[in-house]
Amino acid sequence: MRSFRNLIIASILAGSFLLAYSCTPGACFDEMTAFMKTSLYRDSTGILTAPDSLSLWGVGMDTNKIYDAKKSLKQAFLPLDDSSVKCKFTIMINGVYDTLTAWYSSYPHLISKECGYSFYHDLDSVHTTNYKIVKISITKNSITNLSEENIRIYY
Amino acid sequence: MKKTYAYIISLLVLLSTGDMMAQKPAAAAAEPPDTVVFPLAIRAGIDFAGPVIYLIDKNNLTAEGYLSADLNEKRSLYFGGGYANYKYSQYNYSYRTNGMFIRAGIDFNLLKPKTSMGNYWAGVGLHYGVSVFTYEIPELSQESYWGTTTTSVPSQSHWGHFAELTPGFRAQLFGNVSLGWSLSLRKMIYSGGSKDTRPIYIPGYGLSAKTFSAGINYFIVWNFRYKKINVIIKKEPPEEPDENVAPQTNSGSGNNQKMEP
Repeated sequence: MRSFRNLIIASILAGSFLLAYSCTPGACFDEMTAFMKTSLYRDSTGILTAPDSLSLWGVGMDTNKIYDAKKSLKQAFLPLDDSSVKCKFTIMINGVYDTLTAWYSSYPHLISKECGYSFYHDLDSVHTTNYKIVKISITKNSITNLSEENIRIYY
Repeated sequence: MKKTYAYIISLLVLLSTGDMMAQKPAAAAAEPPDTVVFPLAIRAGIDFAGPVIYLIDKNNLTAEGYLSADLNEKRSLYFGGGYANYKYSQYNYSYRTNGMFIRAGIDFNLLKPKTSMGNYWAGVGLHYGVSVFTYEIPELSQESYWGTTTTSVPSQSHWGHFAELTPGFRAQLFGNVSLGWSLSLRKMIYSGGSKDTRPIYIPGYGLSAKTFSAGINYFIVWNFRYKKINVIIKKEPPEEPDENVAPQTNSGSGNNQKMEP
């Protein structure tokens, strides 16, 4: 009888431990959007330099600006359209407009059970007009939620 | 002549004494060691925690059982398996998986044979598990600057591998029926799937995001005894008298009393 009592006590303890362990609520703390991280370099010096003013929005999304006359911004985060293979942005550096176009492919990536899936991208190519921007280059074509530079804009 | 007789007698006495002294260990060796008759059994266990959890959470069904065969009083071969069906959904995705799993390994009984006697088991199992399963993401969506994107990932089949440590306890309930529980502490070896759409849940393992997973099983077990073996048990040393207790040789007077001069 004592053995059964011990068994029951041990079972309750084990069950309680597991219940407490399994019922710990999970929450999502991860970045869910894979932005195209774009660093801004002064072409004359080759140094990472924030322009005096930067505005950025998607073409056709003029009323919904991503950055609006932002100062002291050395790296811009460009959201890509997950349901398309091409994205166009209007970028205004120090009052001069340029258009930046990115070609890419998208695929779902599991962040975690709590967060769900995000779309990652493989960047194929980028193109820009050259009113203020001098050149553009890809530094890492895999666009994820990690804090890694993807392209450089020289202005 | 007297001296010769004396030597012969002394030699005989010595020999006889030596023979007697030699007989003591021989007699001790000839004394049969302490043994217990230990029944070996084949066991079939069914987990009832999975169905109970399913009654509470209809998205999570696990049905499993095992067979084990005693090799001796300490070790048993273990073979288990089951089926799992897991569904999960939240605001931005839904997920489904189902599949079979098997586990095989050895269970070690840590109880002394005299305590266990085939009726009780407290020990640990070392198992290797393989899971074959399919999963799909019927719907996933993400909101972004450009709007909401919705897509799905079709069903795909994968294998998962894991190792398992299962401490537990089992006790005879009545007749050939036992009741027991075991913790399952699992270590993922291979979860299958691509790194981007890896499975969230692996049947037999649990949530795959963790390299370790834990679970508990409650089993009802049927024991089929097939053989009895004699197990030699260690003789317990005779209890030495407690030094603190005074020997009761002299009754009445009391040994601890001071003797008056």
